[in-house]
Amino acid sequence: MPDGSLRKILYVEDEPDIAAVARLSLESIGGFEMLVCGSGKEALGAAPGFAPDLILLDVMMPGMDGPSTLRALRATSGLSAIPIIFMTAKAQTGEVNRYREMGALDVITKPFDPIKLPDTIRDIWAARSR
Amino acid sequence: MSYDEGVIEQLRQLRENYAQQLPGKIAALETAAKECSDRAGVAALRSLAHGLAGSGSTFGFPEVSETARRLEVLVQTVLDEGRRLSAAEAEIIAGYLDALQRAGHKPIPWSAPAMAPKRASSTSATKLVYLVEDDALLANDLALQLVHYGYEIKTFDAPDRFREALTVGVPKAIIMDIVFPEGDLAGVEMATKIAREGYMDVPILFVSVRDDLTARLAAVHAGASGYCLKPLDIPALAATLDDLTAAPSGQPDRVLIVEDTRVLAEHYACTLELAGITARVLTEPMQILAEMNDFRPNLVLMDMYMPGCSGAELAAAIRQLENYNMVPIVFLSTESDTRKQMKAITLGGDDFLVKPIAPDYLVSAVTARLRRYRTLRASVQRDSLTGLLNHAATKDYLARETARAARHAQPFCLAIIDLDHFKAVNDNHGHLAGDRVLKQLADQLKHRLRKSDIVGRVGGEEFAVIVPQTGEPQAKILLEDLCKGFAHTTHRAEAGEFSVTFSCGVAEYRIGESDESLYIRADQALYQAKQAGRNRVVTAR
Repeated sequence: MPDGSLRKILYVEDEPDIAAVARLSLESIGGFEMLVCGSGKEALGAAPGFAPDLILLDVMMPGMDGPSTLRALRATSGLSAIPIIFMTAKAQTGEVNRYREMGALDVITKPFDPIKLPDTIRDIWAARSR
Repeated sequence: MSYDEGVIEQLRQLRENYAQQLPGKIAALETAAKECSDRAGVAALRSLAHGLAGSGSTFGFPEVSETARRLEVLVQTVLDEGRRLSAAEAEIIAGYLDALQRAGHKPIPWSAPAMAPKRASSTSATKLVYLVEDDALLANDLALQLVHYGYEIKTFDAPDRFREALTVGVPKAIIMDIVFPEGDLAGVEMATKIAREGYMDVPILFVSVRDDLTARLAAVHAGASGYCLKPLDIPALAATLDDLTAAPSGQPDRVLIVEDTRVLAEHYACTLELAGITARVLTEPMQILAEMNDFRPNLVLMDMYMPGCSGAELAAAIRQLENYNMVPIVFLSTESDTRKQMKAITLGGDDFLVKPIAPDYLVSAVTARLRRYRTLRASVQRDSLTGLLNHAATKDYLARETARAARHAQPFCLAIIDLDHFKAVNDNHGHLAGDRVLKQLADQLKHRLRKSDIVGRVGGEEFAVIVPQTGEPQAKILLEDLCKGFAHTTHRAEAGEFSVTFSCGVAEYRIGESDESLYIRADQALYQAKQAGRNRVVTAR
């Protein structure tokens, strides 16, 4: 079973206002080291250098969406084992299950509360290593 | 963990920026709505609505999120069905846009950080509980015992001192005595006070020697989540605490919506999901049996009239399923004919909700029934002596875990435990002593296992443990540990002290295997453990 602490988070989000509030929440409140990318493509380029412990992926992004980014990450050596959490304003029932089946660690529903986001992520992380 | 003034200020700034951009975003949505004559236009509208739905609440506009979400669901349905917007749908969209305009001008007041005080405890493994109790001996004892159940207890000997502490950090739950030197209902009065101050979502469990209706009613008025009489039954108290502090994200309630009109069904689903309930939509009633087994709903919400069969007949069919003769079935119908309603209830329905139904009414009607169902199911599923799951419930969980493991290709283990020479315990020390041994083992299993592990009493002296997401080597270590610990436990009876051992068989699930086959393999391993001299754990091959 995986262990280790959660320190570095890569957040992939195309909406600048959400990206800004997530960065503030996770850096200043959560105390994590953050890298925010505006697209899946950018994330694929930046991930090897940053070596995140966890990746947060927005589901609906123009171009490469969350699920295709996940598949691309899984197919890249060195990145394939990094746990992924999807962030989504889900519109359809069953969506969450589908993402879990794709291999996502969990799904966080948007809109999120910036004050509580770090705790939510820590809880998911803790549940994973049990 | 803490955050300072600077963070609060930055958050406020971000909210302000968002508020300024919001009219522009809503205007873009209106333009898109006018231009959605083709598929690309509809898709553009969907993605704009999606953006607002996913951001509004974060920046203090919950109504914007909700309205945009409804809009998105409607447009998504149109996209899925590959058609154009109907005139009626265009009208509904216009209504949503009006609502968005209004909601865009009303952010909720800026108070988020004050409403979500930082957690007092930094470790997520133990749960912090505040105990307000003036009897120092009792408080000390309770604190020591609850540690074994994964709780960290902070004790306050007077209600006032406890209230001061709340401003620093908020616990997962509060255990509150009722009688204090300050007054015979001082504990209840303090609870009422803090509820008024905005700590309403922290569950309060009262403990008291008072068994009179006045005290109980006062506790209910003060928002009590539970009431335990002194002298305290610690395992029962811990079980109540477990229920009260269970993470809501763990197992949300599941509601199956059977309704042939997709737009309507998605609307109900969306309303329930906003309230934290997992909803699944079924528009094809003939699929219901497969859907029941796959989704395992805690409640079924069903349209009365559907093509192919009536809701009442469908309810009767569901009641024939062994596992679902208790699940609440609620009909949604425009039916106001009481005779027809009666007939549907005779066939197995529980209740009627008359369409059209307001979203908040739907949520409260469904939640109330879910809560009752949960209580009912818990009392039916538990073995009364040990408080563990009974045989049928354990088998049910095993079937569910097998299905889940098959779907996710994840390992899990089943262990079957059987006490050694238990008949001799009963013969030599009496049945009461025997019962205490069973309880003792149940308690040790409950403490040592994870919340997600499932423990049941499947026979007189036979127990089953389901250990999800765990392979055989780890499960074996865990059970050997339990086996050793139990063998060293001393039991008392009139004739003196004695100890008891158990034997255990462990089997890891093989992909594709049925739950029966897994059970048989674990049982065979148990048999081998007995043959090899008992007091040991044997793994199945």
